[in-house]
Amino acid sequence: MKVLPTLEGGLRIDTNDASDWDLLRCVIHDANGRDVDLATRLGDLISPEAGGEDWEEYVVPDLREEFQDELSQIHALIESAAFKAGGGAGSLWIHPEDAFTWYGSFNQARLAIEDSYHFTGMVEQDLMKLTPEQQAAYIRSDFYGHIQILLLKHALH
Amino acid sequence: MADTDTLVRTEESVSPALPWNVVVHDDPVNLMLYVTYVLMKIFGYEEKKAKILMMQVHNLGRSVVWTGEREKAELYVQQLQIHQLKTSLEKAG
Repeated sequence: MKVLPTLEGGLRIDTNDASDWDLLRCVIHDANGRDVDLATRLGDLISPEAGGEDWEEYVVPDLREEFQDELSQIHALIESAAFKAGGGAGSLWIHPEDAFTWYGSFNQARLAIEDSYHFTGMVEQDLMKLTPEQQAAYIRSDFYGHIQILLLKHALH
Repeated sequence: MADTDTLVRTEESVSPALPWNVVVHDDPVNLMLYVTYVLMKIFGYEEKKAKILMMQVHNLGRSVVWTGEREKAELYVQQLQIHQLKTSLEKAG
């Protein structure tokens, strides 16, 4: 897989084969991979004194909808690009107007992975002890982070 | 004994409501560049100020990024949470 900046201020992801599309699809799976969703986790930061109950009732559902909309849009874009590529080598274009949606989706995935595995602060020796499943999650999180950096540099202004 | 009249006068005093702080907390995922970008986008801060606040979050674990009336503070917290930053609301002072 290659990720390149475009002249219009977005990114182009070139896939080699079906496994690249599967990796991109993992964003949705990873983002939804927690029992307690991101909207609830953020809502829990509002103390009772600051109106936590109202926040839970009125704001959290909006956050949840916002985050799910992001993932739905990305899911549709990935599937559309994968279909055009016949599931193999092809390109996925991240246009500037979609950059924040992509960034947010990768962020949701990384937040959920971190919440599950707590990779931050691990030294190399710790990483060697990870199970294959954990190693795969670590690599995906790292990959998402790299694309986020490219989005910040080239697409988000 | 002379009659006396008692004059009762009431005065209303209105104290201004306490301001509220919008607090951004450190987390291990959000990129420093992104936090700066969000603070500039939402509050209209210049890059220099946004970077100072971002570094406070990074080094101190939290930063009060805005203080003011409650209604506006709530709106800012909601916007920051939409951008997936760990944000809370607290009384100032």
